Amino acid sequence: MTFHSDVYVATAPRDMRLMHRKSFAARIRDRRVSGWLFMLPLILINLFVVAIPSIFTLFFSFTDWSGVGDANFIGIDNYTKLFTDPEFTNALVHNIYWTVFFLIVPMTMGLFSAYALTRIRRFRVIFRVLYFIPHIVASVVNAAIWRSIMDPTAGFGSLLHLNFLGNPDTALGSVAFINNWAWWGFLVVVFLAAMRSISPALYEAASLDGAGPARQFFSVTLPGIRPTFVFLGLMTIIWSFLSFDYVYILTQGGPAGSTDVLSTLLYRNAFTNQESGYASATGVVLALISAIAVVTYLVIRRVKKWEI
Amino acid sequence: MELITRRTLLGAGVSAATIGLLSACSASGSADRSVILWNNLTNSTQQDYFQKNFVDAYTKAKVKFSNKPNNAIDRLIQTALAAGSGPSIVITPGPSTGVPEYTKAGYLIDLSQYADQYGWNDAFAPWALAASKIDGKLMSLPTQFESMAFYTNPTTIKKNNLAVPKNQAEFEEFCTEATAKGMVPIATGKADWQGVNEWHAVIALNHGAGPEAVYSALTGATKWTDPVFVDAVERYTGYFKKGWFGGGVNSYFTNTFATVYNQLVTGTAAAMISGTWEFASLRKYFGTEAGNNEVWDWAAVPSLGAGVPEVVWDLAIGQSAAVNSKAVDVAGSVAYLNFLTTDKKTILNAVRDQDFQPSPIRITASGFPTGTDSRTADLYSQLAAAKKIGYTTWTFFPQKTETYIILNWEQVLTGKMTAADYCAGIQKSFAEELAAGNVPAAPKPGQGI
Repeated sequence: MTFHSDVYVATAPRDMRLMHRKSFAARIRDRRVSGWLFMLPLILINLFVVAIPSIFTLFFSFTDWSGVGDANFIGIDNYTKLFTDPEFTNALVHNIYWTVFFLIVPMTMGLFSAYALTRIRRFRVIFRVLYFIPHIVASVVNAAIWRSIMDPTAGFGSLLHLNFLGNPDTALGSVAFINNWAWWGFLVVVFLAAMRSISPALYEAASLDGAGPARQFFSVTLPGIRPTFVFLGLMTIIWSFLSFDYVYILTQGGPAGSTDVLSTLLYRNAFTNQESGYASATGVVLALISAIAVVTYLVIRRVKKWEI
Repeated sequence: MELITRRTLLGAGVSAATIGLLSACSASGSADRSVILWNNLTNSTQQDYFQKNFVDAYTKAKVKFSNKPNNAIDRLIQTALAAGSGPSIVITPGPSTGVPEYTKAGYLIDLSQYADQYGWNDAFAPWALAASKIDGKLMSLPTQFESMAFYTNPTTIKKNNLAVPKNQAEFEEFCTEATAKGMVPIATGKADWQGVNEWHAVIALNHGAGPEAVYSALTGATKWTDPVFVDAVERYTGYFKKGWFGGGVNSYFTNTFATVYNQLVTGTAAAMISGTWEFASLRKYFGTEAGNNEVWDWAAVPSLGAGVPEVVWDLAIGQSAAVNSKAVDVAGSVAYLNFLTTDKKTILNAVRDQDFQPSPIRITASGFPTGTDSRTADLYSQLAAAKKIGYTTWTFFPQKTETYIILNWEQVLTGKMTAADYCAGIQKSFAEELAAGNVPAAPKPGQGI
């Protein structure tokens, strides 16, 4: 055994270790590591603004916390109270109404308007921008505009002798209408983008088979945008149960609770009635409703083997 | 490109941490001892005036003032206090809202120990200090004194040959005549502020059932389900249903404050029922600032029930202020609170210049500075001499009961709830809060203020 070979034998394992060990910088450059590093800020933010508050909300939902001071454990009393509280039932019914409205009206408007836009060449961009503008206008501004339009003394309401927001029978529908005004343009743009990704060859084939525009819509367009359609439907359910801004700005849940939804009830219980424990229970129920919607969607996706 | 080694990174981290730690030490060594105040003034003119005369003019400590939206200040303060911070001076909408909860949580200091030092027992009206005590401890000081009033535009009254009513019969005649002339008898609306509901509930109870009955119920001697209250609520909400208030129930829900003031100034409405805080708002619609020659006037809210005195002054603390136990300079904050609530010259100048509501300190008509609106001086003179007093929900009712009164008033107006059920709900909520010791002390109705 030579000297060199001795050295080689002695140093080989260390050199090999060095060769296989990546430098710190190289590790950062590793795609998996760099991916996590890019995700880290988001993970931290979500930890602080979603995960930790969620845990606290769940905890406080089992207490009589007023929002200040100490909280006493009261078991499931808040949840028992929820289901016997007529205000909660009233708000839940309004949320269900709201969800049904937004699953039908803006989805239908968005679908057909997007389909119509795919069939025109001129002014398509202009229409798309026009539809989208209400969505990017602040909800406070939209609400102020529509409140003026519906004003029973000076606006459109005076012409029809109707007090849209003041009549408990029409208030909820009016607020939903105003919210829809700002919402459906967004759906048009998303549906349009999805529709344009459908292969034109499918439409040509359908046309050759004698399918008219309506037939093409139901047999080519709808199946082609199914992932987008289902996803927006799911998000509509979740957003409907979280709706707050337009109701709060326009009616604050009134008149006589006719526009109260779960989020305005939650807000009132937390900050006016100083029943933060009870409000937390409402929040947990809201989260459960959203979770049910998501799980249902995931199950359907798995059963139907949708690749979305 | 030079690669960063672990050692370099570690060294940089340690250096940064050291610098941060030293900076923190340095910062804590020179802690800002300013008195922090959050308030909810309506417009920029009032904010500028307050900054100049109540903040900059105070020389004994540095005061930092920040204005918050009226519909958010309570939530902001509650959240900040729960997080262990918040302003030095804690503003609440009266002594019965927020103060009891903050006291239980230990967020406020007991001001009793400073009462003698600053002479508060002599400075304030006794009822106001009594209402600001919790379990015998002075936890807040009243910063705004207000009452309810019956507003008119004298030109409109004269032109339509109407007479300002003093009792139920005259009030009903007034409304009937105004309606016949195509006017809205009483301008009002809750679109901008749901709390308008409780203004009317206060009138219904104190002027419909009478202050003696209300006082009796506040002490627990009478139940809120007593027919005297049920009848009063039924009668008053009946006026709404007749279209006398705001032009009808639905219109009441959508009338904004601007609509209400415009109705009064243009003669579309014959009168307006609201609080004395409107003095500041009306100056923008009447006279010089509005560019017209119209004037407004006020009168006592008429009696609306048999046997109820024609003049009853509803006592109200529109705003209270306490001191945060986590304030950096507690003594300095108390001193500033004393200035804010008892510096008569500054307070009365603000009444003259901006129609600010004064704190319930002892004021006589002669105490007002030259140039004060005679309607203002007259109001506070009459209030000071008042013998029959009423009880506002935001001063003498516990918080949950107050919220119930606000929210369910609309249910009665729309016929979804009967007056009897409404009163039963008040009783249920009130009984719980009375048992919990959350009902503020109320002065006897006949003892004056």
